[in-house]
Amino acid sequence: MSEVIVITSGKGGVGKTTSTANIGTGLAKLGKSVVMIDTDIGLRNLDVVMGLENRIVYNLVDVVEGNCRMKQALIKDKRYSNLFLLPSAQTRDKTAVNPEQMVKLIDELRPEFDYILLDCPAGIEQGFKNAIAAADRALIVTTPEVSAIRDADRIIGLLEANDIHRINLIVNRLRMDMVKRGDMMSIEDVIDILAIDLIGAVPDDEHIVIATNQGEPLAGDSSLAGTAYMNICKRILGEEVPLMNLETNGGFFAKIAKLFK
Amino acid sequence: MSNQSVVIKSNRHGLIVVLDEKTDWETLKKDVAEKFRSSAKFFGSVQMALCFQGRKLSFEEELELSDIISENCQIQIACIVDENEATETAMKQALERQKQGGDSDLMNLQDGRFYKGTLRSGQVLESETSIVILGDVNPGARVVSKGNVIVLGTLKGNVYVGASGNESAFVAALSMDPMQIRIGDVIARSSDSRPVRSLRKKKEEDTPKIAFVEEGNIYIEPITKEVLNDINL
Repeated sequence: MSEVIVITSGKGGVGKTTSTANIGTGLAKLGKSVVMIDTDIGLRNLDVVMGLENRIVYNLVDVVEGNCRMKQALIKDKRYSNLFLLPSAQTRDKTAVNPEQMVKLIDELRPEFDYILLDCPAGIEQGFKNAIAAADRALIVTTPEVSAIRDADRIIGLLEANDIHRINLIVNRLRMDMVKRGDMMSIEDVIDILAIDLIGAVPDDEHIVIATNQGEPLAGDSSLAGTAYMNICKRILGEEVPLMNLETNGGFFAKIAKLFK
Repeated sequence: MSNQSVVIKSNRHGLIVVLDEKTDWETLKKDVAEKFRSSAKFFGSVQMALCFQGRKLSFEEELELSDIISENCQIQIACIVDENEATETAMKQALERQKQGGDSDLMNLQDGRFYKGTLRSGQVLESETSIVILGDVNPGARVVSKGNVIVLGTLKGNVYVGASGNESAFVAALSMDPMQIRIGDVIARSSDSRPVRSLRKKKEEDTPKIAFVEEGNIYIEPITKEVLNDINL
């Protein structure tokens, strides 16, 4: 039984694509067969974050328009043989695909995979509608900023209006030192506003920037963000994983930093 | 449905089942069963009064039909009503009275409805009557009511009460932090230091408050007996 998960946020630049890449990698690491679909037609970059850009021959629009078979467009990941990417087109725009076509395309993939991850474009227009059309559940990515939370709130409303009621929250780029000082909203503050269940918090970690630039997702490695993403993956599978204590980890790193001073 | 021997109509209180006079009894029973089975989902498990029209039925036949109906869907038949024009007109009159009354502000202030759930950015809740919200009103959401609004949660969005120009309407919330409040034609907005407040604001400020108009200004006060005494419904 496959599960179709859309990763969305409303606001741009909060980490949808990075989260998709890491959750996809994490789930594959846990032995699930996963396909990630980049639905951001015209602004594709999931392939870049995955480091698979050079392998793209066909894309999502080609599949929808019948220029190629599904198998030809799916790109196998270089690290995990059970992880696939369906890249988006760069030379077209969102109107090249409609929600009905997306549903059909995803129904074709359902028997083949355990998890189908949809990387949603920013905004609430056609691209968003395409991405959520076939989704069973949604992961909302937000940063602890009022603008991102405002957009996330709107997105949750739209998802509920479209009968997607399994909605979980990922709070990204959390800086515990700033939360402590009262300069950043805490996880609790964000949950309080959005009133949906948290599935994970990812700390602001420079490893993520490096990993993204190198096209090597870090889910499951020893970095803070890598552990956080792995925990999210386990929770997606239904495991009960306690929230990692970002604070003590921050403290630990602070201690090391002190040692080097 | 292909068969037209059974037509279901409804009014405010119940269902009117219009039966074809010419169809033979056994077929009619089958049709009734099929009709109700196919619309079982639509009706759900509501309690309803039932009325048969278009065909003279004996008491036994009525019973038989109501049995068929309860077998084929979840409707709970409260009673079987005789076809009676006098009751119908009485019902109609009562309905119309209510409708006319509903237009006046007085009724709107005293009538109310409930809404359960969080109102999120971009969502608008409009009501002819007063409204009680069991949940939060988030920033970017909007509530419009001709009557009063009570939020059993945090009010952070926009709210417009007394929307037909009634300045005696009020807004109350367990936690009052609105973007804008408009009462009748008076508008108040939150202070400009808002972002800091939403970040730093903690429990001590969260006493239930009420907003009302006095001498053309909107006041927001903690809910006390004195303040409530001044509210006119």
